[in-house]
Amino acid sequence: MNTHVPDDIAAFLFLEARYADESRYDDWESLWADDAIYWLPTKDDADPSVDVSYIYDNRSRIHSRLAQLKTGRRYSQSPPSKMRRMLSNLEVLSEQGDDINIGANFVLYEHRNGTHVWAGRYLYTVRRTSAGLQLVKKTALLVNNEDAIRTVAFII
Amino acid sequence: MTAQMDRAASVDIASLIQHDRIHGSLYTDPAIFDLEMTALFENAWVFVGHDSEIPEKGDYLTRRIGRQPVIVARGKDEKVRVLLNRCTHRANMLCRADSGNAALFRCPYHGWTYANDGRLQGVPFREGYDQEMAEMRSELGMAQAHQVEIYGGFIFANLYGNAGSFDEYIGRAKGPIDRLLSLSPEGRIELRGGWMKHKTVANWKIVNESQVDGYHPLFTHESVYKAIMPAKVDYASDELLVATRDLGGGHNEVDYSREYQSQDAEFIWFKRTPREKMAKYVAAMEASVGADETHKRFVDGPPHTFIWPNLFLAEMHVIMVEPVAANESIQYTAPIHIAGGEEINARILRNAEGAMGPAGFLIADDGEMGERNQAGLTAKMPEWALLSRGFSSEVQEDKGLTSYDRTSETTQRAMWVHYKELMTGKQASA
Repeated sequence: MNTHVPDDIAAFLFLEARYADESRYDDWESLWADDAIYWLPTKDDADPSVDVSYIYDNRSRIHSRLAQLKTGRRYSQSPPSKMRRMLSNLEVLSEQGDDINIGANFVLYEHRNGTHVWAGRYLYTVRRTSAGLQLVKKTALLVNNEDAIRTVAFII
Repeated sequence: MTAQMDRAASVDIASLIQHDRIHGSLYTDPAIFDLEMTALFENAWVFVGHDSEIPEKGDYLTRRIGRQPVIVARGKDEKVRVLLNRCTHRANMLCRADSGNAALFRCPYHGWTYANDGRLQGVPFREGYDQEMAEMRSELGMAQAHQVEIYGGFIFANLYGNAGSFDEYIGRAKGPIDRLLSLSPEGRIELRGGWMKHKTVANWKIVNESQVDGYHPLFTHESVYKAIMPAKVDYASDELLVATRDLGGGHNEVDYSREYQSQDAEFIWFKRTPREKMAKYVAAMEASVGADETHKRFVDGPPHTFIWPNLFLAEMHVIMVEPVAANESIQYTAPIHIAGGEEINARILRNAEGAMGPAGFLIADDGEMGERNQAGLTAKMPEWALLSRGFSSEVQEDKGLTSYDRTSETTQRAMWVHYKELMTGKQASA
């Protein structure tokens, strides 16, 4: 199949990455669909109905997470981490109707109490709607997800 | 002996722990950390895992006791053993996986094999050894912890077998384990969902202290109460019937049951989830213990109890604290699976991710406080950290030394009294 990622979708994912990097909580929240899942599993082959995840947010919990960050008293992100992430190796993995599944590798430099490197693979589901693109699902598979990880209160 | 241990030998630990204050070096000095790993972990009873993590013959998981790597394994005889993770030949680590199932542990270096009960099974090219080998063979099984005991599924080990009986060690901490199991219609819990592992730049005792701190929620967790949901109880109220308790032996707890009883409301501890949303679970409980007892248990709720030195019954989660260095720890968190608790378990799993672990609405900020605590301790003045809150409010009850001031530092003092006994080899005077 053709794995080429259409330009508008690549641009959408780069925008999502920049909002996350810059802790632009409202802008980031506006990208999500109602049936959203934001997932940071504890292993690559996890089943979220059985295995505990570091993050398994539905749309309402994404809102709660951001509301907490916006109080300014979410001490693990006060001040927020300074971040820049690189996305590469973008590929379309599959399509189902209006939903497009995309894979990408990432490296994220996070600076807060020292500079920390986070790396792994993002799996996205992006939906084409009449109102534009929406983020339906974002999964971050850290290369070290089976090991102990530092606090991840920022948007990964 | 290392230079660090020489230095430690000259440290007078007793003088660093007073009844109302703790010397900062106890959280920062690598020499003291070395002594702790020996005195508080390797020569002591510690929690190593839950038997539901290794339900089948041959199941194993790898853990640490202090700094020594061990394999907690269920042998083909069903017995749980705690084996040192080292080949008896040339000391290669035998097992690097977190968990698995194996009939044999095989050393990849020279091919020695051990049964999952630790017995030496095979030595390649055996004839290369002299007659001595035949005589030594029975002694060359994997080393193992001298004592292993299981209570309520929680597996505890005493590596060198010199820490007294299990009953003496566990003491009053059996009660909170029973309280947890009483929430299951089958009287059992399991850990099925694996562990979140949170690395934090803080001493292990700082992590333990924060877990049972009744003073911090209003401040550390203000953002949760403001933006997401109110606290389960009104921490600002002077009328609050939440107790802090020294159970003896380093075990301690924050006990919410009297407050819940005064409200006579079920599941205050579980986001006040209505019964109707967990109808099968409620029915199974009532069938098992009757309606009145079920109501009582749903009111009282789970324990918030720390079991010395590394196990925390964190209400519907289990936490294990692994010391890594004087300034580094790993906090492991597993959601509890209640046997026979059909609808509640899915909720516990999602609650674990909401509240706990490195991204949790609560624990990420507790971790931040721990790291700030460790950073603050690099300032050497004042020399002491204060732990005097609520001292005069404590009363001796059958359950233990109790304060009905939920902000009392009774829980932290409980740990330090026991710490001092173990580190100095002396019982505190009553």
